[in-house]
Amino acid sequence: MTPLSALNKLHQKGLFGDYKNKNEIISVSELKNLKIIQIFHYRKSNIKISSINLDNIKFPENSMQVNSNDETRILWNGPNNWLIISKNKDILKKIKKKCDDKNFAVTDLSHSRTVIELKGNNSKEILKKGCPINFNEFKLNNCANSVFHGITITIDMTDENLETLRILALRSFGESLYHGITDACLEDGYQGI
Amino acid sequence: MLEIKCPYCGKRSQNEFSYGGDASVKRPDLEKEISDQDWDNFVYFRNNPRGKHSELWQHISGCRQWFKVSRDTVSHEIFKTAKLNEEL
Repeated sequence: MTPLSALNKLHQKGLFGDYKNKNEIISVSELKNLKIIQIFHYRKSNIKISSINLDNIKFPENSMQVNSNDETRILWNGPNNWLIISKNKDILKKIKKKCDDKNFAVTDLSHSRTVIELKGNNSKEILKKGCPINFNEFKLNNCANSVFHGITITIDMTDENLETLRILALRSFGESLYHGITDACLEDGYQGI
Repeated sequence: MLEIKCPYCGKRSQNEFSYGGDASVKRPDLEKEISDQDWDNFVYFRNNPRGKHSELWQHISGCRQWFKVSRDTVSHEIFKTAKLNEEL
């Protein structure tokens, strides 16, 4: 069985909108084949979260913080709650070795999320059109749960030089979110890649 | 639009939150015999104060945690927010 991404029949490649300079426009892409795992640390657990290392990454303990390496990112999702996003297809096995089911609830959400990536110097401006987060203070390796035109999203900033933002939403909201984002991009033009 | 300080995430827009009712209501003790009138009061009757009010809110589009808010129902000024196990 071949997995189909959430925006499989929707996302179009090419140039769209009112762009002036092709080299400076925002690129919009769908990220596929990522493993997305939610981890919840039980309150009654005796294990200290600071003692756990996953691929040499510690679990972040402060709000909005992301710890990462080349292929895996661990996002703070709430108190005792993290979201792991990884290109490594075997990450679930690694997580289950470190996080046993007596102390942690581990849930694979890979199939149930849409991931859209915005890349370009005005990426934050696009999200400002529908999201109430203060993006002026949103830096590299920051993440936040918020809303974009009423859709609950998770935002993760993966690059600061060329503003790169990953936006995660429930798969069923993917189409609405995609239309919302591409509509917001039309003013300055965007490239679907 | 209110700006509410979530005790876990910091200041966020009201869009991300959901109101959860009066924070001062206490459930009757589990093994205590209570009258229908007391049970009725607990389930249905709420004060509707003009002024300072203790409320429950949930950061439903953020960290999903419940917390307490002390808010003025007239001016909507938020005096303080606290985790559920903390005093307002």
